[in-house]
Amino acid sequence: MKPVRFDYERPVEIGAALALMQDEGRVVKIIAGGQSLGPMLNMRLVQPELLVDITAIPALKRIEDTGSDLIVGACVTHADFEDRRVPDVTAGALAGVARGIAYRAVRNRGTVGGSLTHADPSADWISILSAVGARVILRSASGVREVAVEDYMLGALAADLNPGELLEAVRIPKCSASARWGYFKSCRKTGEFAHAIGAVLVDPDRGVFRAVMGATETRPILVIDRAALFGASGFSTGAAEEVAQAAGMGDLLDRRTHAVALRRAFEQADAA
Amino acid sequence: MSMVSLTVNSRPLRADVEPRTNLADFLRDSHDLTGTHLGCEHGVCGACTVIVDGEPVRSCITYAVACENAQVTTIEGLNDDEVAGELRAAFTREHGLQCGYCTPGMIVSARDVVLRMPDASEHEIRVAMSGNLCRCTGYVGIVRAIRSVIVERKARGAAPRADLRTALGPVGSGHAGAFAGGADKTADAPPARIASPVSRAATPRETAKLDADFVPQTSFPQSFVVAHPVDVVWDFFGRVDEVAACLPGASLVGTPTPEHVEGQIRVKVGPMVAEFQGVADISRDDARHAGRISGSGRDTRSNSATRGLIGYTLTPVEDGRATRVDVSIGYTLTGMLAQFGRSGLVQDIAGRLVSAFVQNLEARLGQGEGAPAAPVVTELNAGSLVYSVIVSRLKELWRKIAG
Repeated sequence: MKPVRFDYERPVEIGAALALMQDEGRVVKIIAGGQSLGPMLNMRLVQPELLVDITAIPALKRIEDTGSDLIVGACVTHADFEDRRVPDVTAGALAGVARGIAYRAVRNRGTVGGSLTHADPSADWISILSAVGARVILRSASGVREVAVEDYMLGALAADLNPGELLEAVRIPKCSASARWGYFKSCRKTGEFAHAIGAVLVDPDRGVFRAVMGATETRPILVIDRAALFGASGFSTGAAEEVAQAAGMGDLLDRRTHAVALRRAFEQADAA
Repeated sequence: MSMVSLTVNSRPLRADVEPRTNLADFLRDSHDLTGTHLGCEHGVCGACTVIVDGEPVRSCITYAVACENAQVTTIEGLNDDEVAGELRAAFTREHGLQCGYCTPGMIVSARDVVLRMPDASEHEIRVAMSGNLCRCTGYVGIVRAIRSVIVERKARGAAPRADLRTALGPVGSGHAGAFAGGADKTADAPPARIASPVSRAATPRETAKLDADFVPQTSFPQSFVVAHPVDVVWDFFGRVDEVAACLPGASLVGTPTPEHVEGQIRVKVGPMVAEFQGVADISRDDARHAGRISGSGRDTRSNSATRGLIGYTLTPVEDGRATRVDVSIGYTLTGMLAQFGRSGLVQDIAGRLVSAFVQNLEARLGQGEGAPAAPVVTELNAGSLVYSVIVSRLKELWRKIAG
C-alpha cells in the first residue's frame, strides 16, 4: 500500500507555494502534516503529480496577537494547542478539544489548517472553531479573503477554496473572563471520528451565544439564537432535534444523538 | 530519487529515496532498522510509531523527505533509555506482549505517556494508549505495565520530562530549507502514472455481475421536483443517453439500449477522484411510472467496486404541472473507497450529485425537444454546485428559528 510516484517541492515562502499551485500541467496537492492526506495517498485514493509541502514556511507557523484576536498559522498542530504553546484565549476550549483529537502521535503532526481544509465533517476543529466564532484567512496570488469557519466547509470533504488559494491562518476571537464552553463527542472508540458532536461557547460579556451540532456528515449546524434551543425549563432536546431536522438531518436516531451531544455540551458549560 | 539526510539513533543516515518513501520504509529498507513495524499503513494501528524530535509520530504517514535533518529515534535506539528499560522489564513481568508485532510502537507510545503524564490514572493510560492496537493481550497487561512504571517512578521521585518542545508546527518539519525540483523524473524512473482514460477505455471491461438476489448494504431516499409534467419527464427518463448527459461526470460507452447501458462516471470529492466503469440493466413500468436501475462498477484507480440498485417513481404534483421524483438509492461499496465511504458521507455526495442532475435536467427540458443543451454542471465538484443546496438548507433553518 504505497502512494503513486509524485514530485515533491518544499518552498519556504508563501509566494513560492502559491506559484507552484499555478502549475496547470500537473495535479498539485498541498500537504501540511499529512495525517489525513497521508492515508488517502497510501490507499491511492489521491494521486497527485506534485506534492507541495508547506511545513517549512515560517509564516504558516506564526502566532500573532492583534489585541482582539489571536491569529494562528495554518501549520500549527493539534499538540501545539494541547500543550498550550498556542496562548489560550478561549477559556481553555481549544486546548481541551485538541487533546481529544485522534491520538498523540497524530496530534504531533496534524495541523489545524489541514484539518479544516480536509473538511471531514466529523473532525473536531470544524465544530469547536465554529463555536468560538473563528474565521479562516485564505490567501491567493490576487489577495486575501476571510470566511467564517462554519461557512468554510461546503459539504463532506469540500472546502470553500478557490483554485490557487491557500489557507494561511485562523483568526480566533478572544473570549472574555465570563466565557464558558462545553464539548461532547459521541465515539465508540477513543480517537475515532465522532458520530455526533455538541460544541458550545457562551460569553455573556461579549453577548455571544454559539451552539454547534457537528459530525453531521455535512456542514456543522450553528445556532446563535438561544430561544431556538431553550424553553422555560431550560435546554430542550426536542427543540434541538427540530433545528437538526430543519437543517436536513433526516434520521431520527441521528437527530436524537446530536441533540443529546449538544445537551451534554451545555451541561459541561454550565458546570464550568 | 533524491538524497535525504536524517539523524537516526544519534547517527547521521542518508539514502537516495523517492519523495513517496515514508519514514518507516526509509528506516527499514534503506538502513535495516526493522524494529519499526508497519501494520495498517494508514495511521490507525500505531505499530509504526517512532520518536521524531522527541515526540511520537506515525512513520507510515510521514514522508522521510518531509523530516529532512530531523532527529529520529527508533526502538533500536532505546536500548539504553531509562524509561524504555523500565517499560521492557514491566512488559515482561506483566505479560504485556505475545506476538510482539505491536510492541515497538507500544513502547514508544508508553514512554511518551510515562514522561508526559506522570500522574496518569489507569483510565488516562487507556485513553492515551488507544492509538496503539494489540490483537493478542487484551491490553490488561500492557496497561498494568505502564501503570507500574508510572507508580514506581513517582515513588522514587524520578524527574518528569525536562526537554519540552517549544517549536510550533509538525514534528520533524522545519530543519531543512527549500526543496526544489524534487522531481521524480529521472530517466530510469518514469513516474508510474495510472493508465490514461484513453488507454483504459481500450482494455476489456469487466462485465459486472448483476445477480438478482443483491441486497444493498446501505439504502437512502432522495427526492426532487421537476417543473414539467409526468409524461415529459417519463419520456425523458427513457432516453438513456440524455439522462446520462445530465449526470455530472458520466459518459457512455457504445450505444445504450433502453434495457442496458455501459459507461463510466467520474466523481471528484475533495482531493479524491473516483472513476467507476460499469454496466447497468434498466427496467421500466409505464403504467406505474416507476423504473429500476441495477448496476455495478469498478474504479481501477482505487481498486474499489460498487453494486447499486436505484428505484424511481414519478408522481404528478402542482395539478400535473410538475413531477416529483422519488428515488431510492441502495449500494454496497467495497475496496479502498469503502474506508472513507461512511454512509453519511456517501449520502451527502449523492445529494450533491442529484442536485446537479436536477439543474442539468431542468436546463435540458427547458430547451424543448431536439435541442440538446450543454450541461450546466459538468463535474461534481465543490463550490457553486453545493452552494445552492446549502443556501436552501440555511433558509429552511432560518425559517424554523425565526418562526
